[in-house]
Amino acid sequence: MGASLLDAVLAETLDPAYAQAAEARAARASSPDGARRPSRWRGRALVALTLALAGLLVAVTYGQAAASAQGRQQVRSALIGDIDRESGVSDQLSRQLGGLRTTVDGTRDRLLAATTVGRRALDQLAAAERGAAAVPVTGPGLLVTLANADEKASADPVGGTVANDPRGRVRDGDLQLVVNALWSAGAEAVSINGQRLGPTTTIRFAGEAVLVDFRPVTNPYKVSAIGNPATLSRRFLASPEVGSLAVISKSFGLRFEFAQEDELTLPAASTPELRSAEPVSPAKGTPVPRSTPGG
Amino acid sequence: MIPILGLAVGVLLGLYLDPTVPLALQPYLPIAVVAALDAVFGGFRARLDRIFDAKVFVISFVSNVVVAALIVFLGDQLGVGAQLSTAVVVVLGIRIFGNAAAIRRHVFRA
Repeated sequence: MGASLLDAVLAETLDPAYAQAAEARAARASSPDGARRPSRWRGRALVALTLALAGLLVAVTYGQAAASAQGRQQVRSALIGDIDRESGVSDQLSRQLGGLRTTVDGTRDRLLAATTVGRRALDQLAAAERGAAAVPVTGPGLLVTLANADEKASADPVGGTVANDPRGRVRDGDLQLVVNALWSAGAEAVSINGQRLGPTTTIRFAGEAVLVDFRPVTNPYKVSAIGNPATLSRRFLASPEVGSLAVISKSFGLRFEFAQEDELTLPAASTPELRSAEPVSPAKGTPVPRSTPGG
Repeated sequence: MIPILGLAVGVLLGLYLDPTVPLALQPYLPIAVVAALDAVFGGFRARLDRIFDAKVFVISFVSNVVVAALIVFLGDQLGVGAQLSTAVVVVLGIRIFGNAAAIRRHVFRA
């Protein structure tokens, strides 16, 4: 027998019981009273039965494996079909919604434009839509870039683990600070990585990702603000929060840059759902709808 | 001849009857099959070595299947089921391979 376990496993592939049984049989045959042997036929029947059992086992296992693979395949293709169908329905519905919205807006504008009161309401509506970030805007402004510290800069060159310093990451608070500083500096519209900030938009942190309006945005974070670039940057830099953020980002290796841009294009924010509305009572005769806060 | 007939009958029975295995036993079927294959190859090799014994074969078959399934069951209960089934498959696989090589030497004399 080999010295190691592996040698033993490799060398002894046959059950030693066979050799022992053969020796016992030989001993019995050579001894004078070795005539009593178990019948050959019973042994053969037992062996056949055992082999039938082995065959049954193999066939059943094969059947199980094949059935489960087939079942998985079926479930998979059914689910893929469901997804395709439902996303098709969803696409169609959003196309229909867009079309209907355009029709409603067009009809509303046409009706309101017919009267002076209506035109005034239309102006108010346009101002409200701009304020609610419901329309895309274009104009000059400030582009602030915040990015995580470079991984190489903070990684220990000797240690084996490349554990990133969590302080070298941009957090939701940093972005909130920048956005608030921009608002107070007089920004008219702000977006983060192409996500427009509306009145009800949140900037939050979930796990490792920053969520803007519950949608994840990734490093580097580009905050675009529309406004007069000169006053915006002057007031932005003057705010004490930005000064402290600059110091913090310098000590932890964060990237914190800003640039004045001649033209920035910000998309519309997702408008909150309309939750309550009241019909205009015809007795009062005022075509201006009383606005109720939605969402 | 009779043993091979038995094997064929078993396979056909399994394919045509398609018996349903209780859900709790299903994870142990593949391991039991590998253990059964080990016993069958061992028996065939012993026959070629002219030391085959029906009693040893039947007992080794049954104990192989039961012990292999039991080890994996125990591993599942302890949370190391996957590792233990790998261990069982490796050991039985080596034995099957060794026995197949011995059978090849008997049959082809090479």
